Amino acid sequence: MNQVLVTGLNGLSYAFILFLVAAGFSLTFGVMGVLNLAHGALFMLGAYIGLAVVGRLDAFWFAVVVAGLGLAAIGFALYYFFLRHLYNHPPEQGVLTIGIALIVANIVLWIWGPFAQMGLTPPRLTGVIHVGDLAFPIYRAFIVGVGLVVLGVLWWMQDKTRWGAIIRAGMDNKDMTVSLGINYGLVSTLIFVLGIALAGAAGFLGTPILGAYPSMGDNLLLLTLVVVIVGGTGYIQGTMLGALIIGVLDTFGKAYFPSAALFTSYVIFVIVLLVRPSGLIGRKVF
Amino acid sequence: MALLEAQGLSAYFGGLAAVKDVTFGIEPGERVAMIGPNGAGKTTLFNLLTGQLKPSAGRVFFKGKDITNHSVFSRTHLGMARSFQITSLFPNETVLVNVLISRQGTQKRQYGIVGYLKKDKALHGEAQRLLESVDMWDLRDEIVSSLAYGRQRQLEMALCLASEPELLMLDEPSCGLTTTESADITARIRDLGSKITVLMIAHDMDLVFGVAQRILLLHYGEIVAEGTCDEIACNVMVRDIYMGSHEHGRADA
Amino acid sequence: MDEPKGDTIVGEAANEPTTESVPGDAQVAQGQAAAPVKRARGSLLRAVLPIIILGVVLLVLPTFIPSFLQSLVTKMMIFSIFAMSMNILWGFANIPTFGHAVFFGAGGYAAGILIFHAGISNFWLNLVLAVLFAAAVAALLGFPAFRVYGVGAGNTNPIYFLLVTLAFGEIAARVAIWARSLTGGSTGMAGIPYPDLGMGLKMTPSRYYYLVFIFAVVCIYLMYRIENSHYGYGLRGIHDNERRMQALGYNTWLYKYTSWVIAGAFGGVAGVLFAYFGGVMTPNSLAMQTSEIGFMAVILGGAALFAGPIVGVVLYVGIEYLASLYLPDRWPLILGAMFVVVIMLMRQGLGPMLLNVWRRLVHGPS
Repeated sequence: MNQVLVTGLNGLSYAFILFLVAAGFSLTFGVMGVLNLAHGALFMLGAYIGLAVVGRLDAFWFAVVVAGLGLAAIGFALYYFFLRHLYNHPPEQGVLTIGIALIVANIVLWIWGPFAQMGLTPPRLTGVIHVGDLAFPIYRAFIVGVGLVVLGVLWWMQDKTRWGAIIRAGMDNKDMTVSLGINYGLVSTLIFVLGIALAGAAGFLGTPILGAYPSMGDNLLLLTLVVVIVGGTGYIQGTMLGALIIGVLDTFGKAYFPSAALFTSYVIFVIVLLVRPSGLIGRKVF
Repeated sequence: MALLEAQGLSAYFGGLAAVKDVTFGIEPGERVAMIGPNGAGKTTLFNLLTGQLKPSAGRVFFKGKDITNHSVFSRTHLGMARSFQITSLFPNETVLVNVLISRQGTQKRQYGIVGYLKKDKALHGEAQRLLESVDMWDLRDEIVSSLAYGRQRQLEMALCLASEPELLMLDEPSCGLTTTESADITARIRDLGSKITVLMIAHDMDLVFGVAQRILLLHYGEIVAEGTCDEIACNVMVRDIYMGSHEHGRADA
Repeated sequence: MDEPKGDTIVGEAANEPTTESVPGDAQVAQGQAAAPVKRARGSLLRAVLPIIILGVVLLVLPTFIPSFLQSLVTKMMIFSIFAMSMNILWGFANIPTFGHAVFFGAGGYAAGILIFHAGISNFWLNLVLAVLFAAAVAALLGFPAFRVYGVGAGNTNPIYFLLVTLAFGEIAARVAIWARSLTGGSTGMAGIPYPDLGMGLKMTPSRYYYLVFIFAVVCIYLMYRIENSHYGYGLRGIHDNERRMQALGYNTWLYKYTSWVIAGAFGGVAGVLFAYFGGVMTPNSLAMQTSEIGFMAVILGGAALFAGPIVGVVLYVGIEYLASLYLPDRWPLILGAMFVVVIMLMRQGLGPMLLNVWRRLVHGPS
């Protein structure tokens, strides 16, 4: 019984990490239809930048801010100089962002070398909390909390704010939205920047758990794709659901069937594709 | 037996009924026109009949067969063909290639990977006959996107005839055409012969009265009037809904 | 008459058998990079002449160049087959895919596994079985893949398809890593011997060059035949206007699915040739690293020329080689920069530019 609880809690915290990884991508892809395959690499860059700040200044929270803002700036440049001109050309967006991912990964390798780094939890969040006779790391609980906050904020933005409505209108009919005098360009730029900033901050926040190594971009991108496709795009709730399913099932799989564990996520992925291609709570695209 | 039959066809988008409980039949050889103000659901109804849209309720029968769940392409194989309101051709190819592609659509030869399409003499002969019947054989090497709009509309109709359909469904065939071009299309439709049945959506009353034996009036997704040209022309309600506002600009209903 | 505009354009176009009539350029200017600008009209000879010249050059090349260059050209030919097969989907049928390497790797791994685990040393038998395997993988993956290829009223949504094919590639690589006993795990399988043609002929790098050359010629010729067949024109129609094709009676799903399998089979051929070439197969051959060669080829080569992708392959392999000499650790950076530059500045590919150069050479300045 204890085993199930422990696995369940691990699965839950893993799910929220996945959510934080995928949330930025879900924003840019699901909400705006932009294919940003550099997402994993930018997440990783956020991790490295944050770790560099911690290395020099030993300031955890400041590092979060720097990672977020730094990636926001990069995200802005990426959108303004490149992606903006590729509107409605997904294959070109894909190849371009793959190129960016290659560049970023190589630069990271160049500057910081090939060895993995592990982040350290800030003093106040180090240690474990005791639930009965279980010891659960505080930082993982913190990640769950951050995930819930991000989920709440994005959900609110999506459903309740004017920005959310503008983005949804633009997704349906960009020309009409623009011709109504709405500054769609500004809103979409801001949303994109927000998505990248989120990836950057989450990248650093994830370092005590995921670490940082130059090839992590690919792994994370694949996980993101699986989460987003399973959960469905267009709604941030979909990404949360996808993260929960993949995160929990994958963790249970690894705990109880280690040899086949690798494939639980992929099998779910293929099944969802065949049965509900729009994803479990996706905006019905197919 | 009716060639085409719609029974209780409905299409709902969310709460909006684009087509509501439409029932009608078309006999072989008939010329039927569907009229109605913009937004009345005519093209949606077409899409239901041709399979581009799945109905929320109702059935479609073709030659007595229930085709409600048939795919678009299988309906063409059964003998339906449709044109599109917004010209839908292959813009980067020549007129000849457009017709060649259209012609083999319902034939087994389309799956051939061994021979060259361009060397298929039989197919070329059929294409030539088709193009000559619309006086476009001379334009066969022109790239479609460089054709004048009127010619493109003509080609659009020719492509539909390529599959030798029994039922030809034309969505606003004279849309955007000059008076002369419209008269030309009207004559062509009239001359199609009794082996082809025609159902068309039209706003152009000259075209409608020049071709149709029966008229269906659609309003807010329902058939509100049906009859011969004379009957419809005299129908006061029709005039209120449609023809009066047709003279003076868009209805504000 | 009512159509003066039409008549004028008809007159102009009739006198100028080029690919650059205005509307075509308008299409190009709208940035439809994946759509083929019209093929070179005019005689078959003019279209095929560059290929013939290239073929002759390749035939005599080995006598002039050192062996390492010969091996480089062999690699270019192998990846030309790969890129041309990817272009059947990307450029011709308008189905951009990020996971084409799956078929390449499937073919190569199958060849290796057949040698080491099934003891099949005959090259021809091995080739047929491996290519069948690649085609089977394509047939299987085609079902979930095309579930997410949005059709409907002329509004294709290639994004999902791109993501799914990308995921397939990455998942395949991880499967290869996991199936260590068959595939050699993350280090891959090595020691694949040179092919035994079963004719008592000892294979040398030179002879392998010519073997690959023959395969390249045959494969590309077959692709040419397919693209100009009745079926091929069906694909063209679907590329241009799928909705119309359905209305004309075409089972468009079937066309796309079969083109996917055909492209997969050719990709498998390239994979088999690659396995024998380097003697090594790694999981990277299934993943993005290999699909990326295709991107360069289909985008840079453009779809204007039938053999355009070959240009992209030559550039890729060439620059990769130079990078390995001077800046070995920076190759991914260079490649990434190449992608960025090509997408932002040369989205129509070099095709139209090359077509101009070619026409000027053959016909003199116009």
